[in-house]
Amino acid sequence: MSPPASSRPTGRRASALLSRALGWRPPRLRPSRFELKISLALVLSGVVPLVAALWLAGRLADENLAFALNPRVLARLESTPTLFRDLFQARKQLYAEQARSIARGLPAEAGDLKTYLEQAVHRTARLRRAAVLDQEGTALAEAEATEPNPDGEWRGAPARVALRGGAVLECTFAIEARFFADLDEARELAEFYQSAGALRGDIRRSYLKAFGALLAVWALLAGLSGFWLARRTTRRVSDLIQAVRELAQGNLEVQVDPGAAADEVAGLARAFNAMVREVRESRDRIVYLEKISGWQEVARRLAHEIKNPLTPIQLAFQQLQVRFRASTSQDPELEKLMGEVGEIVREEIGTLQRLVEDFSSFAKLPEVRPEPCELGAFVEEFVRTSPQLTEGADVEITRGLSESPVALDRALMRRVLANLVKNAVEAAQPARARVHIGIARFNALGVVTIGDEGPGVEPSLRSRIFDPYFTTKGDGTGLGLAIVKKIVLQHGGEIAAGERPGGGALFTLSFPVVAADEPEVRTEPAAG
Amino acid sequence: MNLRALARIAALACALAGAAALAHEVPASLPMTLEARNGRLRAHLDLSPAFPPDLARQVGNGLTNVIAVHLALVSQASDEVSALYSREIDILYDVWDEAYRVTVKDVDADRPRSQTLTFQNYRSLRSYLSELRQTDLGPLSALGTGSWIVQTRVEVNPISKELLERTREFIANPASGSRVSGSSRSVLGVMASYLLRGSDSGAEVHRFRSAPFTVREVTVR
Repeated sequence: MSPPASSRPTGRRASALLSRALGWRPPRLRPSRFELKISLALVLSGVVPLVAALWLAGRLADENLAFALNPRVLARLESTPTLFRDLFQARKQLYAEQARSIARGLPAEAGDLKTYLEQAVHRTARLRRAAVLDQEGTALAEAEATEPNPDGEWRGAPARVALRGGAVLECTFAIEARFFADLDEARELAEFYQSAGALRGDIRRSYLKAFGALLAVWALLAGLSGFWLARRTTRRVSDLIQAVRELAQGNLEVQVDPGAAADEVAGLARAFNAMVREVRESRDRIVYLEKISGWQEVARRLAHEIKNPLTPIQLAFQQLQVRFRASTSQDPELEKLMGEVGEIVREEIGTLQRLVEDFSSFAKLPEVRPEPCELGAFVEEFVRTSPQLTEGADVEITRGLSESPVALDRALMRRVLANLVKNAVEAAQPARARVHIGIARFNALGVVTIGDEGPGVEPSLRSRIFDPYFTTKGDGTGLGLAIVKKIVLQHGGEIAAGERPGGGALFTLSFPVVAADEPEVRTEPAAG
Repeated sequence: MNLRALARIAALACALAGAAALAHEVPASLPMTLEARNGRLRAHLDLSPAFPPDLARQVGNGLTNVIAVHLALVSQASDEVSALYSREIDILYDVWDEAYRVTVKDVDADRPRSQTLTFQNYRSLRSYLSELRQTDLGPLSALGTGSWIVQTRVEVNPISKELLERTREFIANPASGSRVSGSSRSVLGVMASYLLRGSDSGAEVHRFRSAPFTVREVTVR
């Protein structure tokens, strides 16, 4: 909504003109109460559920942490290495026992040792190597498994049994390598959960802080968007308030831009504009009628002042002419002069009498007595019953489809139409005139257009041609269009001069359409 | 009573509460011997109260246990710190070898050192942990004529930076630790991870404080 046109101080006016030219206006930093209220409402409506969500988030974080960091789970995880320790110890004991069993069956003969060890490796599960070493550690006999370990990758688990004479039975058993990988992973996981458990309070606080920060961001965004929305609305309301103030100060040119929105504020702006237009038009109409009324008074006095001495002048000159004819003077020069002067006096007296008649006619415009009629039918009847028009011009009538019931004073409106058609005929002279008359209905207005193909009315003169005594004709009194406009205004109508498409003048008369059942016809008061 | 007055009262109450809390945290006495070698002050500390015998169950659980020791040489007159020393000890009981694998990291600005040790039983491990020997506390000349104390802080299983980072990554992207590939990052998780930067919770802390000493009490060798 653009700022209203107004009579502001020079600086503000320059700023307003610049803003309007650039389509930009300086931002108003200080928020209005309305803006603050809307922003606050949006922040509250956004924050209240978010605060509740914050509380729920705290509960949820507690429950999730309690679920994820269950002490029983943590205790189980922490005890996993102990389970592996027990497993390893059991395996070590088993392997030690198996080694002792093998030692017990060792043959006494050294030559049988290798065969025995090979058989022992073959029949003992997970035994990968067996060797008998002497005191110096030299292998007396040894055997090694050749087939792959059935449990996959393995790690050596040694078991030693001391033999008589300082010798040693050294066995290497296989223990699954995956045990160590599983142990490492379990330990890593347990350590992680242990630290997470220790950080439980910090984790909860960090989640709440994060949620609180997001809440603050949301609240800020809600506030800003609320402020933006409020400013969009209040700016238009402020413009309306300003426009109303200017209207109250008498500025009837003020208008506000309703903008592209289709909301109530835009509707209010449109209604305001329509109201101001109507007030302005009413004011213009009243001003014009008052002005015409003044000119009518002038015309009445002029007619009176001119008419009074005119008859004595005429009688006196006639007596002079009679006495001159009856005299015995034989001066041909004087006789010729008397004839010429008599002609001039009669002509000028005739002109003055016509002027007086025009002034009197203008001054004594009868009161409008409208009666319902259909505009198109009225115009057609006017043309049909005015043969002098068709003799001097080709008249073309175009009617719209809709009828236009209006209230007209038939006699006065015939005078209006006759005047306008007469102007059209005169504008075309010396050629034969072509007059285009159109009748149509636009919403609540019945419209008559009268156009010609003459030179038209210059745009600079269009605002003045309805003023009394303004004329562009050499012999005109300048009262015709003034009378026309007064009659039209007294009917509650409007008249405007323009240019006909294709060239020539175009006069547009519009009258309010009257409902068929409307009991009374409103008319403008006849000023004067 | 206006808001400012209320704020002052609240601040005073907080300060008193903090002072009361500190009053309960009286550091234990720290048995210590001092000597000077090559012009540098070296301390031998007895930290055995921080490692009671029943700690064996915890350090022998097969998980990595971390001991952090922080020393500060503090002027008794001005509370000014003259030297700092930190040591981090990672203890992992090897359930296969049935031995304690110990990694010692001395955090020294000049020469960070790391060494790996193995202890067959808790008694020897405890003995090692309890005695902090030859701890370098800076040049002897820095002591001057004033009185000094050694403050020690022993933390058992503090949250290490590595674990903290792993926890933060887990919060930011819970799917990263699982065997299912894919990312599950969320704004809330990333923000919570970011806000979990600093934490000193989780540690069992032992504080020690030596008796005041002067340079005259230092045995020069």
